[in-house]
Amino acid sequence: MKRRVLSSVLAMLVGASALMGCSTTTVEEAGEASGDNQAAQATEATNETESSSTTLTGEGEETLHVFLYMQEHEKEIYQKLIDQFVEEHKDKVKEIVFEVTTQDEYNQKMIASMTAGDMPDVFYVGPAAVRSYVDNGYIMPLDQYVDDATISSIWGTTQEIYRYDGKNIGSGSLYAFPKDLSCFAFAYNQDLFDAAGLDYPDPNKPYTYDEFVEVCKALTKDTDGDGEIDQWGVANADQWGMTPFLYSNGVKFLNDDMTKVNVANNKQLIEALTFYTDLTKNGLTPSVEQDTALGGYQRWLDGQVAFYACGTWDVAAFMDDNTFPYKWNLCGWPVGPSGDGRSHTWMGSVGYCVSATTKYPDLCAELVAKLSTDADGQRAVSGITTGASIQLPNIVDLAYGEFKDAVNNGTVPYASNVDVIFGYFDGNDHYAAALQEMDYTYNSEWFTPFWSGVFNIKNGDISVEDYVAQVEPEMQAALDEAIELQNSATK
Amino acid sequence: MASHKRVKTKMSAMAKREERWAWLFIASPFLGFMLFMAYPIVFAVIASASKWTGINSLWGNMVGFGNYIKILSDVKFWRAMGTTIIYMIGIPIGMILGMLVAMGLNRKIPGKRVLTTMYYVPVVSSLVAVSILWAWVFNYDYGLLNGIYKFLTGTHGPNWLGDEVMVKISLIIFMVWKGLGGTIILYLAGLQNIPRDYYEAAMIDGAGSIAKFMNITLPLLSPVTFYVLITSLIGGFQVFVEVQVMTPSGGPNYSSATVVFYLFEKAFTNGQLGYGSAVAVILAIIIFIITAINFWGQDKWVKTID
Repeated sequence: MKRRVLSSVLAMLVGASALMGCSTTTVEEAGEASGDNQAAQATEATNETESSSTTLTGEGEETLHVFLYMQEHEKEIYQKLIDQFVEEHKDKVKEIVFEVTTQDEYNQKMIASMTAGDMPDVFYVGPAAVRSYVDNGYIMPLDQYVDDATISSIWGTTQEIYRYDGKNIGSGSLYAFPKDLSCFAFAYNQDLFDAAGLDYPDPNKPYTYDEFVEVCKALTKDTDGDGEIDQWGVANADQWGMTPFLYSNGVKFLNDDMTKVNVANNKQLIEALTFYTDLTKNGLTPSVEQDTALGGYQRWLDGQVAFYACGTWDVAAFMDDNTFPYKWNLCGWPVGPSGDGRSHTWMGSVGYCVSATTKYPDLCAELVAKLSTDADGQRAVSGITTGASIQLPNIVDLAYGEFKDAVNNGTVPYASNVDVIFGYFDGNDHYAAALQEMDYTYNSEWFTPFWSGVFNIKNGDISVEDYVAQVEPEMQAALDEAIELQNSATK
Repeated sequence: MASHKRVKTKMSAMAKREERWAWLFIASPFLGFMLFMAYPIVFAVIASASKWTGINSLWGNMVGFGNYIKILSDVKFWRAMGTTIIYMIGIPIGMILGMLVAMGLNRKIPGKRVLTTMYYVPVVSSLVAVSILWAWVFNYDYGLLNGIYKFLTGTHGPNWLGDEVMVKISLIIFMVWKGLGGTIILYLAGLQNIPRDYYEAAMIDGAGSIAKFMNITLPLLSPVTFYVLITSLIGGFQVFVEVQVMTPSGGPNYSSATVVFYLFEKAFTNGQLGYGSAVAVILAIIIFIITAINFWGQDKWVKTID
């Protein structure tokens, strides 16, 4: 009997420790693990594993806690900016604690702060989280603290995506200033074009779908004569690199108020997805198997593919001869027949916000504006004064003026067709971009069933029509859940 | 039952001081347990009854058993559970291999220490590091396995991590490899604890090697087998890292995802901390039940020398 009781207690402890294991240990392990995949590149994950904190002191009374994620070399630049800020406000500031961690750890630490009710004074908010943060009373509007000239100096998109009127994103009070604005542009390997004797893509006239297929055909070949294709027109990562093809055919996955998934009977989507998957079916991209062996990003770096996606965060790596020993440049994503005739892609951003419970809203708002829009700071992060571009300038005039000059005269190593990116940022006759729809919903779980199974179409296991019909209910269920979670914020 | 009467004795100052120290020593693990085990467990159970996202109010979003009911019809959860159970095929394979290798190493053979070390290296290696390494071993075009396969057959090998069935086989191979060293060491210790006289007596009785194995080795190794079984089952339900590293999106059509992978995805990628907690609670209950069954059933097959 005694033994049985002992057994039960032991079993209970084991079960309990399993619960513990699930809720704590794995989190750290996952953080360690996820630095390796391409998703991490696309979300600008940092490689550092430790967080660091620096205290900058002045002579005043006010103490601020700034909590962000960024890479070490970014931190150096931002620390100088904060240093300057302390100097400029030394009569007010007692100290600024500048804490930086990795992107992996950031959300978990923020959740801990929220649960404990101990928020930093200045921290990040992504466009997707603005609504939840405001509804739950975590962040404050900044309009009254910052002048209109400062707000209007930044990219139009970043003026809009951090506004919220209590119902919709895009209008109402401004709740954050952008740390950066990025986009997922397209790039081509000039050396492969030269070898094939083809003209480079025209940055002022993106290819149509049909033109793109013809160019890819000319660039797909067996270069070593062993009977196997070893150079392809393009490689695509379904999770990140598929949507620009679809958006450029006018595709939207959700209805206007983002409550209904619209894929099963979406003609533009079916047309674009057919085009996209046919690229692989017709051998113009590596096959699904080949893609699992070596991803498109590695094949691009290895000079095996002529076109590949290029996020603004990728430019520095592609400009480095040790990483990418080929000549290359930027171009637009191909344009589908049923869109608005422009090349579309997605943009991304994260913003600095101020805690609603801060004791020093004025000072915090000024700091946020400085980090985001200080001209010297933007010159440094964009490489105008440092020669190494971490991001594009947030200030529009600076981008079109000094930054472009620095690119043209070689001070900043950057693709010369940088206007492609500015075209996406600003919108013009050939280019347009927006945040993805999942940036406006509580989470992006509804999109996962869509992208994660596209390889089945490429493999010929299912038709495009059957596929979109099959995934729609699963997407809708996940969207409903996201809406419910979004609404739970106001409770 | 013997009854003990409490005898009140006056404690000396020294004894009192010692007792205070004793309480202090007991307090530290107890407080540690309360703070780092009991509190999070209670919190997880409460969170599992809510639509807590980490951002919203936990108490304002209580849904009772709502999450649990939803899990019952959650296709992805059950797919992940099925995969987790399939991975457990590796447990008996690992135990049999471990026992065989341990028996081999239990003889006087040259290079025994080197071999034991070699088998044990995977156990002490970082799980993330060896998972990355094995992702390359399994690589479709450039992997070691397919390299050998092509050398031997002249044709291309299987898509180890890119096929719904093969990805499970690949992960089972990895898990067996990773855990083998630990099992071997345990069985080796178990084998060395079996008194030689038993075998000598059996030899005098004319028992052959199979009879000796079946009637002496196997039964007397049963405590080790029991321990390995319990820890492997618990570990089996908690598989996460290797899946996350080798197949970051859960494999083709979610075919390699485990329950903990799903839990992590729900809680930390999709911000559904309440739902994720409910998955964790269910997992803990399952592990509790299976461990309890094992403990209750051990009388029937676990033998000790005493």
